[in-house]
Parts: sequence; C-alpha cells; structure tokens
Amino acid sequence: MKGNTKRSYKARVISSERISPSCGVVVFERPEGFPDALPGQFVSVRVSDSTVPLLRRPYSIMDLTGLELALLVKVAGRGSAMLASAGPGEVMDLAGPLGGASFDDPGGDDAVLVAGGTGLAPMIFSARTWKRRGSRGRLYLVHGAASRDESPDSFFEADFDKVFRATMDGSAGFSGDVVALLAKLLDEGRISAPLLYSCGPAGMVRALVERTGDRFKSHHTSLEAVMACGVGACRGCTVPLREGGRIVFKAVCDDGTVFRASDIAWEEWW
Amino acid sequence: MVTEEKKSVFRVGNAAFINPVLLASGPAGYGLEYSGMIRLARLGGVVTKTISLKPRAGNPGVRLRETGSGLLNSVGLENVGAARFFGEKLPAILEAGIRPVVSLAAEDWDDYTQLLDETSCHRDVDVVELNLSCPNVERGGLAVGTDPAKVDSYVKEARSRLPGVALLAKLTPNVQDIASLAAAAEGAGADGITAINTVIGMDIDIGKRRPVFRMVRAGLSGPAILPVALEAVWRAARAVKIPVMGAGGISSVGDAMKFFMAGAAAVQVGTAIFYDPGLPERIAEELERSGLPARI
Ligand SMILES: Cc1cc2nc3c(=O)[nH]c(=O)nc-3n(C[C@H](O)[C@H](O)[C@H](O)COP(=O)(O)OP(=O)(O)OC[C@H]3O[C@@H](n4cnc5c(N)ncnc54)[C@H](O)[C@@H]3O)c2cc1C
Ligand SMILES: Cc1cc2nc3c(=O)[nH]c(=O)nc-3n(C[C@H](O)[C@H](O)[C@H](O)COP(=O)(O)O)c2cc1C
Ligand code: FES
Repeated sequence: MKGNTKRSYKARVISSERISPSCGVVVFERPEGFPDALPGQFVSVRVSDSTVPLLRRPYSIMDLTGLELALLVKVAGRGSAMLASAGPGEVMDLAGPLGGASFDDPGGDDAVLVAGGTGLAPMIFSARTWKRRGSRGRLYLVHGAASRDESPDSFFEADFDKVFRATMDGSAGFSGDVVALLAKLLDEGRISAPLLYSCGPAGMVRALVERTGDRFKSHHTSLEAVMACGVGACRGCTVPLREGGRIVFKAVCDDGTVFRASDIAWEEWW
Repeated sequence: MVTEEKKSVFRVGNAAFINPVLLASGPAGYGLEYSGMIRLARLGGVVTKTISLKPRAGNPGVRLRETGSGLLNSVGLENVGAARFFGEKLPAILEAGIRPVVSLAAEDWDDYTQLLDETSCHRDVDVVELNLSCPNVERGGLAVGTDPAKVDSYVKEARSRLPGVALLAKLTPNVQDIASLAAAAEGAGADGITAINTVIGMDIDIGKRRPVFRMVRAGLSGPAILPVALEAVWRAARAVKIPVMGAGGISSVGDAMKFFMAGAAAVQVGTAIFYDPGLPERIAEELERSGLPARI
C-alpha cells in the first residue's frame, strides 16, 4: 500500500448564491495545487473553526475549472447552513479531491443520469467533464426532488441534452418519485440508453435497481454515507457489497463513491 | 545544549519516541491513509488500527453518528488481520518513516496467544499496545479490561511471549475503578498505560423508532469525553509508576497540556484528526518550544 497523498487546502469563497429556498451554489477559488478531479469525487469541508459541528461535511464536486471549484449545497442542518451562508472572502479548509472510484466516461454511448435532490451535483460535473472531453453521446437528466424548492430551475439545463423533473408534491414537472418517472419515460420510449448513472438517497438507488435494473446494460451509482476521515482510514462509511457469495464492506469515501449498483447488499445496509 | 535538553523524548520500557505525541489507534487506520494530511514522521508515533489474528469485517449498518461535540462509532474492529498487517502494512509504515505502535486484540484466549506468537516473529515491533477494551467471547462480550484478574492474565501472557517488547495496556473508561485496573496491568509487567478508549453510548433514530446502530451500543469519542478521560488519567497516573499515555477528546494544544498536568507522560490524538489533522504536530511543536508542562 502506497501512502495516500490526499490533503487539505485553504479555499477562499468567491461567491455564494441561493438558487432556491433551500439550496445554494458556493464557488471557491481553486486552491493552488488542487489536483484535477473526476466526476463522483468530492471534497470534505471544515465548516467551522470550533468543534460544533465536529466533523467535516462531504460535498460532491459540482464543477472544477482552472480557477474555480463549485459546490451545490442544500441546507440540511447546522453544518450545511454554515457552508451555504459563507460570504465572499471567507476562507475554509477543505480536503480533496476525495474518492477513489468515479463515473466512467460513457464514450460515445447515450446515458441516463438520475439524480435525487443534491445528487444533481456529480451529474452536472459528469456532463461538463464529458462534454469538455468531446464525448458525443446523448445525456438525459432525470431529476427528482421533494418539491420545487429543491428543484432549482434552469442553471444546469444547458449541460444536458434533455432534462426531466419529478417532484413528490407535483409543484414542478412529473408528480411523484423520480423512479416512477424514469419507468414511465422508458415505457413510453421517450428515452432509451444503454447506460444508467445515479446519485441520491439510498432508497432511490435501491428502487432504481429493483424497478429498472434490467433496462440498462450497466448502472453505476455514487453513494452517500456519514463520513469522518474521508480517506479510507476510519472505516466508518462502509457499504456492504456482495462479492462472490460473501459480503464485504467497502469504504464509500475511498473505494467509492462510485459502485456498481447491482453489487450493493441493500438488506445489510441501514 | 539547551535545545537538546528541551527535546521532549519519551520512553516506554525500551522503546523511545522522538516526542510524546502519538495518533490514537483507529481514526488514522494504518497511518498511511493520512500521509498526505499529517507529517506522520514528525510525530512520536502512530498507534495502528487494532488488529486481530484473523481479518474482521466489522459491523453492519450505520457506523458513525455525530453527537454534541462528540462522535459515536460502531466500526466493530474491522481490520485486515495479522497476516496482511505484518506482510503488507507494517513494511510500508516503516518505509514511510513512521514510528508504529502495534495495537492487538483478541476475542478469546487461543487467538490471543497465537496473535502474540505471530507478533513476536517480527523483530521490527518493539512496542505493542494491548487493546483490552475489545469485547471478549469468554466474558460474554464484556471487555477483558473490566476485570483486574483478566487484565493480569492477559498482560502476563503478553509479557512472557513478547520478551523485550515494550507493552502498553490500553484501558477502558467503562469501569468503576480504573486505578485498580492500571495497577493490575503494572503488576503483570506492563511498561505503560494508555487511557482511555471510547465511552459506551447509544443513539436513537426518532423517525424510525429504533437504535441508530445495529449493535445498539457504540463508542463515544471526541471533545465530549475529555473530562472523563482527564479524570481517568489523573487517577491512573497516581496508581502506577509506569508512564501513562492520555487520550480522549484532545482537540487543542491546551487540551493536551491538561493531560500532562494530570500526570500523563504522553498523549494520543484520535477523533480530532478528522477535522484538524494539523493538531498533533502543533502539540509536538509547542512541547518542543516550551517543554513538558509540570504535573500538578
Ligand atoms: C460523498 C458525499 C457527497 C455529498 N454531496 C452533497 C452535495 O453535493 N450537496 C449537498 O447538499 N449535500 C451533499 N452531501 C450530503 C451532505 O454532506 C450533508 O447534507 C451534510 O453533511 C449535512 O450536514 P449538516 O450539519 O447540515 O446536517 P446534520 O443535521 O448534521 O445532518 C443532516 C443529515 O446529514 C447527514 N450527515 C451529517 N453529517 C454527515 C457527514 N459527516 N457525512 C455525510 N452525511 C452527514 C446525516 O446523516 C443527516 O441525515 C454529500 C454527502 C456525501 C457523503
Ligand atoms: C473511528 C474510531 C475507531 C477506533 N478504533 C480503535 C481501535 O481499533 N483500537 C483502539 O484501541 N481504540 C480505537 N478507538 C479509540 C481511540 O483510539 C481513542 O482511545 C478514543 O477515540 C478517545 O480518543 P479521541 O477522543 O481523541 O478520539 C477508535 C476511535 C474511533 C473514533
Ligand atoms: S470516512 Fe473514514 S473510511 Fe470513509
């Protein structure tokens, strides 16, 4: 085993913008020496100088350019509220890019990207990364959220060939959950693609596997888990995978965040 | 030379450390995972993740939960087992210039003696920490470290099977009288004491109306347990002559100083590296500058 070179950086906030009542986009100056990142990789941000909250908070990279690092932040509690309200000029400590497995480029193939809530962030980064590389396949985004508040309009629409939305309360797009919407789109022949990528709550990913698993050649998912170290050391963020009839625990932060969805042993994970 | 005198070199038995600041067993894994975040070779040492004879998969379900200035964990001693540790991890740790303290635990006596024998084959290992807080099968899941008679037999066995290796006995705070357990370890031949391991706790998911952790109980660490750890170190240090390494909730240079004042000869930092990986080195630098604070 080689020593890990992942480290932390001081990053300055350039802008912080509310894009919906509960979500914001926080843009940092890309710290000097911050390595290039792959879709599905994340950073862990120390949102406070005190011990409240104690742990760093993990955030998927929504975009990384030569100059900027952008995060999509939903206010979910104290830590995310601190991050979302960071003003321009504020400096935060963030570690990254973290994660040892990322979303593979679909090559020339078409792909469906299903995002639940802020699972949108890695999908935006995927689309931008692949398009920048000149990938030709069509990218369909299917985004699900609780309500319109969590389904901000338009800032990412140009990144995909087509965007479909679902909200649980019907306040925007399809009324119902994102998996039901995807099933309907597939049934109606409105989208068809060999590859499925997903990111969102575990329940959503599990439902995707169970209800649409046989419709795709492959399904890769970027998982979330509560994290402490973010570098594979503490073994606190594990997901159970089936590997040759056995259950093995893999670290979401370091072996993931991206896994083959069909490998996950859902019943062992709560 | 003044600077030489100020150097806070620290010893346990025959094992020497360049300074008395170490990483506690667990949070930093086998150390190397943190080599980009922490200049590990500048620390007194890294206590490696506790290993058992056979690899352990660890606990199913959620393993972490943040609490008020604390962290509950139910990792369940996931580790690669002795063979991979000694074959892969230890050589890489040594190559990186890290000073390892090898942490060992066993669920039963047979595994324990085999693990000690395996360890004794590796001449690079000159200091071992016995994690006496691991649930013991023969004690119905209770930790060896809650019974002075068991501490005595476990430490004596390690003493006889690992001659020449410095032995630290790591104690659990989940006991009535930590002083008697420290004394038992010293009497059985331990060269030092580490105190404390995590404090037992639990949490409940109110939405799901069930415990957060499958095993229900979990180990609490971080700033929330500092007062518990400090008192344990204070009492243990008064009960024994061997050095005591203090651990539990250290999250600032000042916190570390409190442990030295309470009687610790060294400190271990655990949970704090998750949010402030620079802390252990800052503590070491402060000791270098100002020397060890006197015991009160
Ligand atoms: C790899 C990864 C990528 C993520 N990407 C994004 C993203 O792009 N945008 C976004 O808005 N959110 C993202 N999240 C979720 C985000 O980390 C949590 O919403 C945030 O940590 C909540 O912190 P809080 O203090 O506001 O809430 P709390 O009140 O502390 O907790 C609210 C919820 O967040 C979860 N949580 C708390 N601490 C952590 C932690 N250390 N690690 C993981 N989950 C935690 C808790 O389980 C709880 O369900 C991601 C999580 C992971 C693991
Ligand atoms: C995630 C995690 C894993 C741990 N694993 C071990 C372990 O394997 N062996 C051990 O002796 N202690 C283990 N500990 C306990 C720590 O070494 C330390 O004694 C305790 O956490 C108190 O110190 P702290 O508050 O600085 O973390 C672990 C702690 C945490 C948070
Ligand atoms: S958060 Fe520590 S191993 Fe993933």
